[in-house]
Amino acid sequence: MIHDSIIRERLVTGDKTAADVTRDIARPILNQPSTAWKVGFTLSVIFLGIFAVSLFYTLWTGIGVWNINKSVMWGWDITNFVFWVGIGHAGTLISAVLLLFRQKWRMSINRSAEAMTIFAVICAAMFPVFHMGRVWVGYWALPLPNGFGSLWVNFNSPLLWDVFAISTYFSVSLLFWYIGLIPDIATIRDKVTTKGAKFWYGLFSMGWTGSTRTWARYELISLILAGLSTPLVLSVHTIVSTDFATSVIPGWHTTIFPPYFVAGAIFSGFGMVATLLVVARKVMNYENYITIGHLDAMTKIIMVTGSLVGIAYLTEFFIAWYSGVEYEQYAFLNRAFGPYWWAYWSMMSCNLIAPQVFWFKWCRTTPWFIFIMSIVVNVGMWFERFVIIVTSLHRDYLPSSWVMYSGSLTEVGLFLGTFGIFFTCFFLFAKFLPVINMAEVKSILRNRE
Amino acid sequence: MGHGHHIEIKQENFVVPDKAKRFAIILMVLGLVLTGVGMATLGGSSSHSHEAVAESHAEHSDHAPATEAHSEVEGHDHQAAEAHAEEHGNMENEQFGPRAGFHAEEKPAMTRFWANLLVVGFYFLMIGLCALFWIAVQYVANAGWSTAFKRVPEAMMTFIPVPFVVILLAVLVAKTDLYHWAHYEHLHLSAGDAGYDKVLDGKSGFLNSGMLIGFPTVLVAIWYFLGRKLRGLSLKEDAATKGDVSFFKKSIRFSAGFAVLFGFTISIIVWLFIMSVDAHWYSTIFGVYNFISMWVTTISIIALFVVYLKKAGYLHLVSDEHIHDLGKFMFAFTIFWAYVWLSQYLLIWYAHIPEEMYYYQIRFEDYKANFLGNLILNFCVPFLFLLMRSAKRFRPLLVTIAVTMCLAHYHDIWFNVFPGVFGPGMQVGFLEIGIYMTFAGLFVYWVLTALSKNGLVPVNHPYLEESAHHDVGV
Repeated sequence: MIHDSIIRERLVTGDKTAADVTRDIARPILNQPSTAWKVGFTLSVIFLGIFAVSLFYTLWTGIGVWNINKSVMWGWDITNFVFWVGIGHAGTLISAVLLLFRQKWRMSINRSAEAMTIFAVICAAMFPVFHMGRVWVGYWALPLPNGFGSLWVNFNSPLLWDVFAISTYFSVSLLFWYIGLIPDIATIRDKVTTKGAKFWYGLFSMGWTGSTRTWARYELISLILAGLSTPLVLSVHTIVSTDFATSVIPGWHTTIFPPYFVAGAIFSGFGMVATLLVVARKVMNYENYITIGHLDAMTKIIMVTGSLVGIAYLTEFFIAWYSGVEYEQYAFLNRAFGPYWWAYWSMMSCNLIAPQVFWFKWCRTTPWFIFIMSIVVNVGMWFERFVIIVTSLHRDYLPSSWVMYSGSLTEVGLFLGTFGIFFTCFFLFAKFLPVINMAEVKSILRNRE
Repeated sequence: MGHGHHIEIKQENFVVPDKAKRFAIILMVLGLVLTGVGMATLGGSSSHSHEAVAESHAEHSDHAPATEAHSEVEGHDHQAAEAHAEEHGNMENEQFGPRAGFHAEEKPAMTRFWANLLVVGFYFLMIGLCALFWIAVQYVANAGWSTAFKRVPEAMMTFIPVPFVVILLAVLVAKTDLYHWAHYEHLHLSAGDAGYDKVLDGKSGFLNSGMLIGFPTVLVAIWYFLGRKLRGLSLKEDAATKGDVSFFKKSIRFSAGFAVLFGFTISIIVWLFIMSVDAHWYSTIFGVYNFISMWVTTISIIALFVVYLKKAGYLHLVSDEHIHDLGKFMFAFTIFWAYVWLSQYLLIWYAHIPEEMYYYQIRFEDYKANFLGNLILNFCVPFLFLLMRSAKRFRPLLVTIAVTMCLAHYHDIWFNVFPGVFGPGMQVGFLEIGIYMTFAGLFVYWVLTALSKNGLVPVNHPYLEESAHHDVGV
C-alpha cells in the first residue's frame, strides 16, 4: 500500500525484487537437499519408526498395553489428541483470521503454518482412531445405516461432533492450503527441468496461466474460504472442549471451557509455528522474509493468548471456590496440591508466567530465546491437557476407585512417534513445495513507497 | 479504491448543533416523564422488618441443617412438626429451584427503581470501559484504519464516572433488596442458626459489602485514570510537531498496561454487580458473556456517532470504507456473543445440575418471550441483516440495526439482573424505558459536548494518513 505509515517496518527486508523472491524460495526445490535437511529428515524417519513399532505392538497385543484403567480411561492418548489438534489451530488463524484482519505479515508464514495444521491434525487423528481398539470398524463412528453392521450414532454426543468438526476442519484447511499453492506450483512448473517434475507440478498447478481473470478468481476464493474457515478456528476446539465440559465431572464441567480451549489452541499453535520458523528461517536463509518483525508479532500473540489462558485458569480456580460445591473445590485443590501438583505447576509456569517475558523487547526479538520459549509453551500446553484429563479422572466421586496413572512405554512411544509423522511430513513439504507464498510476498515487496 | 488521490488533512472543530442538543434534552425529559409514570404505578412499599426477613429466610432455607434448626424452633407440637416436614419436602425440590429465595412481594416497591439504576449504570459503565478498551486495542494491535474517528471512543470514555456513581448509589441504598447475599450478610447468622446458609457463608469472603463497594471503586479509579492519561496523550499530540511519535509510543505502553489490567479484572466487576444477583449460582464464562454483550454494543454506538458526525458534515477523513468495517465488527461480535451465549447455555443445559440449571429454568419457564426475544434480537436479526454488504454501507439500515442492538443488549443485561432479583413475573415497563431514555439522552449530550471540546481529527497521529486512505478492498 502506498499510504502505509512511515513508522511501519518493512515486511520484507533486503531490497528484494520479485525475481529474488522466486529464486530464494524455489531454491530448495530446484537444488539437491542440503545436509541440514538430510540430517533432519533422517531423524524424523527414526521417530516415525518408533511410531510404527509402538503402533504395531498396540494393535498386535491390544489396548491393554496402555496404562489407562477403569478410572483414568483417557490418559496420554487423549492428552496427545488435544495437544495436536490445538497445534493445528495457528495455521487457520493465520491464513483466515489474519487475512480478514488484513495483517500482511501473515503472508510470509501462512503457507508453512497451514501445512503444519494439516500434519498436526493427522497426528491428532491417530489417537482417537487407535483408542477405538477395533480400528477396522472405525467407520462406525459415521452415521451409517444399521445395515453396515454399525449402530446409528448418537447425535447428542460431543464425541460425534468431534468426528464432524475435525473432518470438516481438515478438508477445509487442506483445500485452503492447496488453493493458495496453485500459483506457486505453476511457478515451479515453469522452472523445473526433469520430465517427471514437469508432469507432477503441471498436474497440480491445474493449468494455471496467471491471467487477470484467474487471479481475480483466486483472490475471491481465498476470501470466501477465509470466511468459511474463521468459524472453524472456533468450532473445532470448542467441540473438543465439549468432550469434557458436557460431563458432570468436577474440573471438566465449566462454562468457560469453549473460548478457553480456543485461546489455548492458538497459543500452542503459535508456539509450534515459532519453533519451526525460528529454525527454518536460519537454516533456509529466509531471514529477509521471516524477519525479526514477524517474530515480534508472533511472540505478542503468544503472550496475549497465554494470558487469556491464564485468566481462564484463575477464573476456574476462583469460581470453584465461589461455587460452594465441595467436589469442584476438591478437584481444584487436588490439581494444585495433590499427587499431580508437578503437572499443575508446570502448566501454570509454562503457560501463564513464562510468556510474560515477552513484555521485554529483547525477548521478542532474539531468535534463540524465542526458540526456547516456544518449546516451553509446547511443554506447558501438553501439561495443561494432562492436568485437565488425568487429575479430574484419577479421583472420582468414589474414593474406592481412586488410582494413579502414568503413561506406559508404548504410550510414550506413540507420542514421540507422532513427532516423527509431523516432522517427516514437514521436511517433505519443505523439499517439494515452496514454504513461503511467493505470489503473495511479491505483492508486499514495496510496502513503503 | 481510495488511495489513488491525495486527501487533504485538516483539523475540525465540532460545534454541537442545537438540533442535537434538543434531541438529547427531549430524550431526557421524555425519559424522566416515563420514569415518573413508572414510579407512580409501582404502588406503596411494603414493610419488611428484620425478623420477618430472618423468618422468611429460614422458611425458604436452602440447606438441610437449617431445616433441623427450623423444626426445633417451631416444631414443639409433634403433628405440626410432621406437617412442616411434609411442607418442607415440597420445598426441598425447590431448594435451588426457580422460586426459592426471591420473595418479590416482600421487597419494597422502590427496589425496582434501584434495580433499574443498577442495570443502566452497569450498561453505561461498560460502554465507557469498552470504548477505552477499543482505544487500547487499536494501539497495541498497531491498527491504522480506525485513527480518523478515534476521538469518538475517547469522548465516550469520559462518561465512565457518571454511571459508576449511579451504581454505587443503587447498591448503597438498596443492596439488601438487590442482593440476596447482602440480605443474608445483614442477618449475621452462624452455623446452627435458623436460616443458616452454608453456601452463602462460604462466599462471604468475596460477597460482602466491603468488597461490593471497595473493589470496583479501586478498579474503576485506576482504569479511568489510565483512560484520562490516554486521552491526554492523544490531545497533546495534536499540538506536537509533525512527525513526533513520542506520544504515540507512550500511548502504546499505557494501552498495553490498561488492556492487561482490564482483561484480568473485568470479570470481578461483573461477578460482584451482576452474577451475585443470583447469589447461589455461578458460571465461569459469565464475565466474558457480559463483556462481549457490551463490547458489541459499544462498537454499534461508535458506528452511530460516526454516522451522525458524517451527516453533520464532520469527519472528512472517514468514508464508507470505515463504516463498512465498523459494520463488519458489529457482525463478527454479534456471532461471538451468540457463541458465548451458547457456551454457557449449552453446557448448563447439557449437564443439568440443579445448582446451575435453575438460572435458566426461571428464565425460560417464566420469561419465555424475553428469553427467545433476547436471542432473536441480539443474534438472529443483526446476523441476518449484517450479512449483506449493503447493510454495512447503506447508512439508514446500519443505523437501524445498531439502534436495535443497543436496545436488545440493554435487555440482555436487564434479563441477567431482573429475574435474579425479583423472581418470576417482572416485565419491561414504563420505568425501564424511562430510565434508559433518560440516561441515553444524558450520554448523548455528554459525548457530543466532549467531542466539541477538542479537535475532531487527531492531526499528528502517525497512522492518520493510512486511515484517511483506508479501503476495504472488495
